[in-house]
Amino acid sequence: MIKRELKINFKSLIIWTFVLIVIFSLVFLLYPHIIVDNSKSLEELLAIFPKDVSKAFNMDIADISTALGWFKTEGNIFLLLIYGLYASILGSNILLKEENDKTIEFLYSKPVSRNKILISKIIVGICNILIMAIIVMITSLIGLKLCDSFDFEIIVLLTLAPVLPAIILFLLNIFISTYFTKTKQTIGIAISLVFLNYFICTFANISSKIEFIKYFSLYTLVDVRKIIEKSSFNIINVFIFVILSSILIVLSTCKYNKKELA
Amino acid sequence: MLKIENLTKYYGNLKAVDNLSLEVKKGEIFGFIGPNGAGKSTTIKCIMNQINKTSGKIYIDKELVTKDNYKIKEMIGYLPSEVHLYTDYKVIDMIKYSDSFYSFNTLDKALELANYLELDLDKKVEDLSLGNLKKLGIVLALMHNPELIILDEPTSGLDPLIQEKFYMLLKKEKERGKTIFFSTHILSEVKKVCDSVALLKDGKILKKDKIENIIDKHSIFVTIKSNSLEEIKDELSIKEEGNKFLYDKNINDLLMILSKYKIDELLIEEMELEDVFLNYYSENL
Repeated sequence: MIKRELKINFKSLIIWTFVLIVIFSLVFLLYPHIIVDNSKSLEELLAIFPKDVSKAFNMDIADISTALGWFKTEGNIFLLLIYGLYASILGSNILLKEENDKTIEFLYSKPVSRNKILISKIIVGICNILIMAIIVMITSLIGLKLCDSFDFEIIVLLTLAPVLPAIILFLLNIFISTYFTKTKQTIGIAISLVFLNYFICTFANISSKIEFIKYFSLYTLVDVRKIIEKSSFNIINVFIFVILSSILIVLSTCKYNKKELA
Repeated sequence: MLKIENLTKYYGNLKAVDNLSLEVKKGEIFGFIGPNGAGKSTTIKCIMNQINKTSGKIYIDKELVTKDNYKIKEMIGYLPSEVHLYTDYKVIDMIKYSDSFYSFNTLDKALELANYLELDLDKKVEDLSLGNLKKLGIVLALMHNPELIILDEPTSGLDPLIQEKFYMLLKKEKERGKTIFFSTHILSEVKKVCDSVALLKDGKILKKDKIENIIDKHSIFVTIKSNSLEEIKDELSIKEEGNKFLYDKNINDLLMILSKYKIDELLIEEMELEDVFLNYYSENL
């Protein structure tokens, strides 16, 4: 079952990863030339941004005139959103697709438990998210090495840390999908969840008055500023990730076992 | 082999299956008959555990069917009424994928069945016609030599030639001691293949018995064309309207009465399964 799942989900993994690689490769290739030519106008442009907005996009702690600086700011947004969108959409249909296409009647007539169906899909989803992150990490390491600036730890952490919210989004969408019967009902929720989480995190960073709302966003798990400033990762976030993942897996298992598969 | 005890299934307020109990003996072909919406597929989905029972118990080979008891499905071959399979696969890939779920070799029988049903192994599932998809469904349901074969409207979409081959296949499986639970609304095939039947309506069983007991050999249909039709019917104590009626008394008495009148046309027919069912359903309307 796992082999089949990996095979059928391979195409979308390649497309999403390719999008990220193309964006990153283009930036790594062209960025130094653009910046050298326009560094003065860029500084003027950045000065227009309010301090809080610069902080929200990490522009206060990253030198945006280098490719690594871009990677820490805009590049990081791409990573968070594209990992999140891929994981969310995958979660919304990987399990539900069987019911949507009515192939569940075949699959569930075989000697296989519902738990095994669910866990196989979860394993495949997590593997795919990790494969995407590793390919992006290798591309970024090579790209930035060939470019002007390189910081192994930061690059590795920035490309791998967004995997945590992505996996939670994946699991959350699997859980939500157990309440539905058609994939078209869940795709909108999947996309909305990513942007909702992203904007909550961004707004919390912009205004210190509403900073507390960051605890309602899965993107808080990444803690990008700590990675950039201290090249380290808050281990408590991994702990929260494990707890959230376990809760979502248990909830999905319970709900899926009670679901009417027809 | 299959025992259903007091099965009830509600969809919201709608009672789809109402306190249904039946038992299918090993080596029997059991016809599960009823009009559309009678609860046939719902009962089957309960047996397959796809949907939750409101109440009741189902046993297969004396083992209680539960969601955790998935190993029991090695004993079941299931053909749903509409076959939905992975469209990215070729027929042979679908067979190999199905084989991967079993701890024993099922490929040899699958290939034998595909050959018997004239199924092209290299065709893509998405290019298969309805009939060929059904054939593949039959192969997937029978390839692991199941002890209990559950078939939901199995012949819809099959051409008459393949239908005959399919009936032969079922008879062979029966000879090998397999039990077959056959849901259909096509009555001609029930008479052809089934040993026992259960008549279902509005989720309830109206009657269940052996086929030979269900068809009343003493009842006949009589069609008469005569100017004295009303007098004949009066004398026979027939209250039905029209010139075709059911007669279940002594045939010699019928002939005696008929001989007294001038008859233009006379047709005497044996009671068919269709007539039995129509009789039951109209009685229970």
